Amino acid sequence: MATEKDTEQSCLPGGLIPLDQWSAPDVSVHKTLRAGVKDILEQLRSGLTPESEAFESLDDLPSLSEKKLKRYAPEPDASALASAILVQLEALRQQGVHNRRVSFIVAPPFSGVTDALLTLPARVIEPPDNLLMTEQDADRWWDDQLGDGDWVVPELANFWLRHRSGLNLLKSFFARVALDSAGRGIVACSSWCWQFWIRYWPEIHVSPLTLAPLDSERLTGWLDFLAHGGNGRSLTARMTNDGLFVLPPQTDASNAKYSCFTQDLANAARGNRGVAHAIWQRALRAKPEEDAEQDEGAASAGKTAECWVVPFDQLSLPGVPQGSGQQAGIVLHAIMLHSQLTIDSLERVTGIANRELKLLLSRFLRADLIVQDETTQAYRPTSLGYPSVRKYLQARGFSVDGF
Amino acid sequence: MEELGLKDALSTITSGAIVEAIVVVVLASLLIIAVQKLLPMLAHKLTGKPRLYLLAMVPLLRLVIIVLTIVMVVPILVEPSFENMLAIFGALGLALGFAFKDYANSLIAGIVTLYEMPYRPGDWIEINGQYGEVRAIGTRAAEIVTLDDTVVVIPHGLLWNNLLANGNDGSDNLMCVAELYLEPNHDVVRMRELFRDVIYTCPLTKTYQPVVVAVLATDMGMKYRLKAYPLTPGDQTRFIADLTARAADVCAAEDVKMISRPLLWQ
Repeated sequence: MATEKDTEQSCLPGGLIPLDQWSAPDVSVHKTLRAGVKDILEQLRSGLTPESEAFESLDDLPSLSEKKLKRYAPEPDASALASAILVQLEALRQQGVHNRRVSFIVAPPFSGVTDALLTLPARVIEPPDNLLMTEQDADRWWDDQLGDGDWVVPELANFWLRHRSGLNLLKSFFARVALDSAGRGIVACSSWCWQFWIRYWPEIHVSPLTLAPLDSERLTGWLDFLAHGGNGRSLTARMTNDGLFVLPPQTDASNAKYSCFTQDLANAARGNRGVAHAIWQRALRAKPEEDAEQDEGAASAGKTAECWVVPFDQLSLPGVPQGSGQQAGIVLHAIMLHSQLTIDSLERVTGIANRELKLLLSRFLRADLIVQDETTQAYRPTSLGYPSVRKYLQARGFSVDGF
Repeated sequence: MEELGLKDALSTITSGAIVEAIVVVVLASLLIIAVQKLLPMLAHKLTGKPRLYLLAMVPLLRLVIIVLTIVMVVPILVEPSFENMLAIFGALGLALGFAFKDYANSLIAGIVTLYEMPYRPGDWIEINGQYGEVRAIGTRAAEIVTLDDTVVVIPHGLLWNNLLANGNDGSDNLMCVAELYLEPNHDVVRMRELFRDVIYTCPLTKTYQPVVVAVLATDMGMKYRLKAYPLTPGDQTRFIADLTARAADVCAAEDVKMISRPLLWQ
């Protein structure tokens, strides 16, 4: 049984690190070249062949049921991550690495930090309805929000608009945080938002921290930790093509041959836990030869659960429709900068007419690149579509995040 | 010509050799046409650096094909002895020297262009007052397409004694400048800050490249220059127009009047 300390480490593999120490998981030259050629071929193929479905798998194995998927690859526990972040911050304070009153965590989308901060017993500061404020109004608003008591800002990207009048709220906030006059709190900031602001205001000095990237080893450990789900039952996952092992993690005593799937997964997700988790869920397959009831019975009897993993080259992730034009890039970039945007806000920051926006957004929805929040009606990116959106924007000269 | 030994060199040419040489030249021409048509077509489907690399390969491949064709055709027509080569190239030099001086000048400049690369397909250049994107580099001349969609043919020979301005120099970073003249006696610091916001909030701005707002007091008013990089060089017209429109909005909001030059010159 894992100890409490072990559990905390498994929940946040690698811990929190200074932002400038982050580096993408290693990727071979062969894989980089292959990805580059594949990207060029996809661009050339556009218009010649019909676009494929957003997601397809070429294997014949049955998908896992919802119940099994939740058991083998459950959503990470936000409160556990929040506790781990607090422990890490305290440890960094004791080491003298982090001595700011406001802790600034810059993380890529789907890192889970936003959800984690929402579980903390601290006052949550929500963005105002109107983000287009004058400098004086912005100062007054923060005066009202900050103050005594601990507070958290779950996502700073929601506090601004890329508009002439939409910058004042964050200008005021960054000035306060840099001067340590904003009280005591924790801020989560999307890496895309941060990338914009560090260029806009290079003098920002808030000592940002970030989550350590999940390399192959950390990712394997984390997926194994998730599969345990607190009940101690382990998961054995093997590749569908060659039977090589993916889980449980390799030990010195083990003679089993292991697949490089988690290395590919870490590279594809660029160490991003949310993206890696989403692809992992998609890659898991059931055992066709076993009767469902029999399998359930075996699992409840304490046996190790088993499932199959589809190789990477048999999975296709959602891709940005080729030949979408530059407006597509502008819309996707705006959504990434602000984490989520309603169509009215999109119209304001992109200058694209409402009718054209609707056409573009419907296309992205069909391609599984974005989803619309039912309550706020805001559009936000999907974890499976995120890698291709990032690659698409980078190839077209847009400023992308460093993660 | 006889003194040069050209007659002896050409006397060995047979009709069969001529046909063979023609076939080689026709095949090479077809290959060049295919390269000149296909590669730009593929390049325009791509974005970023792959597009520029593919475009830059066109003149290079054509040069390679021409050189290979010459290497293949000459031995077919004449025996490649030292005397024969001397005779042929001597006669060719004379002909080029007198009759096709300017043409040869541009041809040689074309080869220098491929080596020194003062401009490549995809570059935005200005030469002799003509500004546009290099679409093709031929053996003798380069073709640029201006912002008004006019094709201008520029002989490579102009390279020798003209100033050439290259806006992006083989990269996809092209600085653009939007210029404004404002009435004096306003808060310059505030206007500079607002214009900087204008640049950063324009969706076409490459925010990871430098952004500069320069201001100069001139006898025509305060001259502001908003300098930044658009997402792609092809966006420059739209980008400058967008920056100008946004800057004009700021002036209107701040009640700072813009000045147009023609009014001042009256």
